[in-house]
Amino acid sequence: MTARSVKWLLPVAVVLLVTGLAACGTKRAPAGAGTAESVNLSLTTVPTTRSITVSPANAQIGACSGGLAGNDTKSTTKKLGFPDGKCFYGRPGANGIFPITITNTGIASDIYVSGSSATPSDNGTGWKLCNVGEDPEVACTGRLHLVPGTDQYLLRNFSPVDKPDYGGLTDTPACDHVFGVSHGCFAAQGTSQAEGIELIGPSSSSDNSTQWTVTITWMPVPQ
Amino acid sequence: MHLRLWAVGLASLLMLAIPAAAQASIGVGIQAGPVRLTGAAHPGGSYALPPVYVVNTGTQDESLSIRIERLSAGKGRAVPAAWIRPGAAVRLSHGQSARIPLELVVPDAAKPGQYLTDVVVKGSAALSGGSANLDVAAATKLEFRIEKGVVSGSWFAVPSWLLPGIGVVLLIAAAGAVARRFGIRVQIDRVPADAAAIRAGRRDDGT
Repeated sequence: MTARSVKWLLPVAVVLLVTGLAACGTKRAPAGAGTAESVNLSLTTVPTTRSITVSPANAQIGACSGGLAGNDTKSTTKKLGFPDGKCFYGRPGANGIFPITITNTGIASDIYVSGSSATPSDNGTGWKLCNVGEDPEVACTGRLHLVPGTDQYLLRNFSPVDKPDYGGLTDTPACDHVFGVSHGCFAAQGTSQAEGIELIGPSSSSDNSTQWTVTITWMPVPQ
Repeated sequence: MHLRLWAVGLASLLMLAIPAAAQASIGVGIQAGPVRLTGAAHPGGSYALPPVYVVNTGTQDESLSIRIERLSAGKGRAVPAAWIRPGAAVRLSHGQSARIPLELVVPDAAKPGQYLTDVVVKGSAALSGGSANLDVAAATKLEFRIEKGVVSGSWFAVPSWLLPGIGVVLLIAAAGAVARRFGIRVQIDRVPADAAAIRAGRRDDGT
């Protein structure tokens, strides 16, 4: 047999060699050897999410007051009047009613709150949020800057323990003072807070709608 | 008598239903750990950020969507919301979770440095409290760094034809090596000169 005639055997030999090397990694266990056993461990960890829930009790915005009887725009029990009508969802004070429960269901966080502009049912001109106090984000333009002006309104959330100089909600999320009246708005996991809402309407409204929608949003944020 | 029994049954059902309605809640959650880009981003580049984990912690179905808004205190340049492209909103039942993808698109004129903003998840459901809507959201940090330099694309960002092309070239090279090693047999049949002349003569004669 010449060298030329066995050349075709070379690729076959290479394939066999590679197959053999690969087989080295799959050595069969010798007879009688012990079999591997595994143990399943169950582990529970603490939550690693930042989360919140809000649950309102069955209550209605009511206890409305203010407005001008001479103009036939005085508030009724459940309807906001003009000017400077005021309504409550809940009732402030030591023996008050606080129908909204906010619970921090995730890790310790700061709780922020914000309000939206009030939107009329005809999607016309809304009311923008304004604030009172020493350093308002948007100053109320009504009487002595203590009440909302035209197309402005004021939203304040309250709790059993309240902050006296609180200027109201803004449309940008800010610390919810009722979660830390002395300092900040820190809430540990599981912390709940009961709150109510106070709404003061504008001195006058450009839009004639009688149905308005406002939204209040609570949010846990990193400390 | 039957009417009274029906009334008692109905009242019992209502008693059971009222607490369930009273406990209705809305809730959302987001991963507590910050969303971070691995490595640095470069002006002009696009990067897939780690998908953000969101969960519905309320009692009713809701659609959860993402927006970008700076809320956290801390050092870092503000991130224009247009730089971050979140994935579509997801509809989740109570207790369900999902991951929403995020893409960072850095403009050519972006300044180098550390950037910080927040990813905010918001639920679509809002409970009515009196005539006010009560809503929830949750936030986590988003951090990345921009460095000067060329865009370092992902390994998978090479043109789609490149990998098959490399494969074809390697295949041809291997075939060439085999051919050179073992040779190619070409069969050549030689015809004697006199036999060729005889064939030519026949064609000339027309025989």
